Amino acid sequence: MLEAQGLRKRYGAKDALRDVSLSLRQGEMFGFVGANGAGKTTTMRIIMGVLEADEGEVRWQGRPLSFDDRRGFGYMPEERGLYQKMKVGEQIDYFGRLHGLTPAASAAATGELIERLGIAERRNDRVEALSLGNQQRVQLAVALVHRPTVLILDEPFSGLDPIAVDALAEVLAERRSAGVPVIFSSHQLELVERMCDSVGIISAGRMVAAGPVEEVRAREGRRTLKVVVRDAVPGWADGLPGTLTTEGDRQTLTVTEGDDQSVLGAAVRAGRVEHFGWEQPTLTEIFREAVA
Amino acid sequence: MSNLWLVARREIAIRARTRSFVVGLLVTAVMVAGVSFLPRLFGGPDSFTVGLVGSAALEPAVKTLAQDVTVTFRRFPDEAAARAAVTEGDVDAAVVDNRSLLADGEVQQSLGALLKSGHQVVQTEERLRAAGLDPAKVAEATRVPPLQEVSVSAASGDAGVRAGVATVVVLALFFLLMSSVMQVAMGVVEEKGSRIVELLLTSIRPWQLLGGKIVGLGVLGLVNLVVVIVAGLGSALAAGLVADLPPGMAGIVAGAVVWFLLGYAFFAAMAGSLGALVSRQEEVSSVLTPMMTLMMAAYFVAFFAVAQPTATLARVLSLIPPFSSMVMPVRMAATEVPLWEVALAAVLMVLAVVGVLLLGARIYRRAVLRTGARVGLGEVLRNG
Repeated sequence: MLEAQGLRKRYGAKDALRDVSLSLRQGEMFGFVGANGAGKTTTMRIIMGVLEADEGEVRWQGRPLSFDDRRGFGYMPEERGLYQKMKVGEQIDYFGRLHGLTPAASAAATGELIERLGIAERRNDRVEALSLGNQQRVQLAVALVHRPTVLILDEPFSGLDPIAVDALAEVLAERRSAGVPVIFSSHQLELVERMCDSVGIISAGRMVAAGPVEEVRAREGRRTLKVVVRDAVPGWADGLPGTLTTEGDRQTLTVTEGDDQSVLGAAVRAGRVEHFGWEQPTLTEIFREAVA
Repeated sequence: MSNLWLVARREIAIRARTRSFVVGLLVTAVMVAGVSFLPRLFGGPDSFTVGLVGSAALEPAVKTLAQDVTVTFRRFPDEAAARAAVTEGDVDAAVVDNRSLLADGEVQQSLGALLKSGHQVVQTEERLRAAGLDPAKVAEATRVPPLQEVSVSAASGDAGVRAGVATVVVLALFFLLMSSVMQVAMGVVEEKGSRIVELLLTSIRPWQLLGGKIVGLGVLGLVNLVVVIVAGLGSALAAGLVADLPPGMAGIVAGAVVWFLLGYAFFAAMAGSLGALVSRQEEVSSVLTPMMTLMMAAYFVAFFAVAQPTATLARVLSLIPPFSSMVMPVRMAATEVPLWEVALAAVLMVLAVVGVLLLGARIYRRAVLRTGARVGLGEVLRNG
C-alpha cells in the first residue's frame, strides 16, 4: 500500500501542491491526469524523494517511505535522462546493478527487457544514436530492469508509436497483476480510462477528483441524456431543455437536466427514435470541467 | 560502498576506452620521455676529436685531465691541412705547434678549457726543464690532484639534476591534477544537465555518486601518473642518466604519488561540488574560476620552489593545504626536507581533504537536483 498524505509544496509565492493525497493498493494502477503545471510531476518527485514536501508524508506498507524502499521503486522522470555515450545494453545493466541486482540477474533482466521493448538489435549502439522513441524505450527499460516494487512513471506513453504503446501497456499490466502498484501520468485520457483502476485529477495543486474510474465518472460531472431522432418534425424540440444538433436527417438532443420521460414523449411524437439514454461523462469531459 | 565502486567502475570503463584517453596517455609518455632526454641534448657532446700539428706532448696531458669526456687526437702534417680539417668539421679543433688553437668560429667551451689547461701544463713542464730542473721532479711537481667538489649544503652536489626532477614533478602534478579535476566537474555537469542524476539519486546516495566519480577518475589520473613515472625513469635509464639521479629517487616518486592523491582528492571534491551548481557545460569554466586560480597559485609557488626549495615562502606554503600538495613534493625532489615538515604537511592536508569532502558532499547534495539557473553557493550553504 502506497499512500501520500496531505502533501504541500511551495515555490516562492506559488503553491505547487496544496494538500494532495492519494493511495494505492497492491496491484492497483493509478492514472494521474491534470493540465501542464498542475502538480503531477511535483507529486511524483516528492514520492520518489527527489523533492522534499513542505508538509505531508509518503508511506509505504504502513510506515514512512525510506531510501531503501525507494531503491526498489522504478521511476521514469519527466525530464528523460540517459548517458548518451553509453551503449543501450550496458546502460540498462548498469541501472540494474545500481538497484542492487547481482551481475547475473541484471544481465538476464536486461536481455529480457530489450527483447520485450523491441530494442534488442540496438543493444550495442550508443544511446545518442537512437531515435527519440527508442531512447524512450531505453528509459522505460531502465525504470523496469530491477522488477520494481512500485512504478512511478511520468508521462511514459508520450512520444511512443502505437506498437510501443501496446508493448508498454502489456508490460505494465503484467507488473500490475504481479501485485505492483503503478502510478503514471498521461494526457491521453482514453488510455488512462482504458488501463487504470483508479484516477486522480489534479488542478492547480489540488486533487479535484480521485478514486476508481467508474466512481469518478459516476460522481463527477453530470450525466447527460442523449436522444437521437430521425426524420423529426421541424421544431419538435422547441420548449425542451438542452441543445439540438442536426446531422443529415438525424437530430441529436443533449439534455443535462429535466424530466427524461417528457423528452422521450416529445421525441416519439416527432419521429423515429434511434437512441435514448443517460450517459456517463467521459474522463475527458470530467477533466475539462474540473480544469475549467 | 559497493554502489560507490559501481559508479567508479563505470567512469573507468567509459573513459578508458575513449580515444582521447589512450592518445592522451601516449602523448604524455612521449613528452615525459622527451623531457628526460633533454639534458642529453643540451648537455653538449661528450667526445671530441682534436687535430695536432707538431709536438704531441699535449696528447697525454689532455688525456689525464679529461674526466667526463673522451678526446681523440689526429695528426696533421701542417697548419693548412689542420685548417682544412677544422673547416670541413672533421675535427672539433686543432692545436698548431703548441702555439695556436684553430676552431670553426668559437671552440666548444669545455673542450677549450681542457686544451688550454693541457697546454698550460705542457708548457710549464717544458720551461721548467729548459731552466735545468730535474725532469722527474718537474713531472712530479706538476702532477697536481684536481680539486675535489664537496657540498656543504643539504642540496648536495646534484642540485641541477634535482631541479630537473622537481620540474618534471611539478609539471606532471599540475597537468594531471588539472585534467582529472576538470573531468570530475564536467562529469557532474553531464549528469546534472542530462537530468540522469534525478534517476541515479533514487537508487544511490549523493555521496556515493560523487565519491564514485572522484575515485574512478582518480584511478585514471593515477594510471596517467604511473605512465609519467615509468616513461620518465625508463627513458632516464635508456639515456644513461640513472647514475646522475639523486639518491632517494624512490622516495621522491612515492612522495609524488601520495601528494598527487591528496591534491586530487582536495581539488576533485571542490570541482565536483562547484560543478553541481551549474547545469550546462558552458558554465563549468566560470564556476571553476576561483578553484583554478587557487591551483595556478599553487603551481607558481611550486615552480618557484624548484629554484629556491629552502626559501621561506616555499617552506611555509609547503605546509599549508592545498598549496602543500604541489609545493611539498617539489621541495622533496629539489632538496632534503626534514621529516617533521613532511609529516606536518601531510596531516594538515589530510584534514583539509576530509573537510573539503564533507563540505563538497553537502553542497553537491543540495545543488545537484536544482536544475536550471546557476545555484548560488551562499544559498546552498545557508539553507538548513
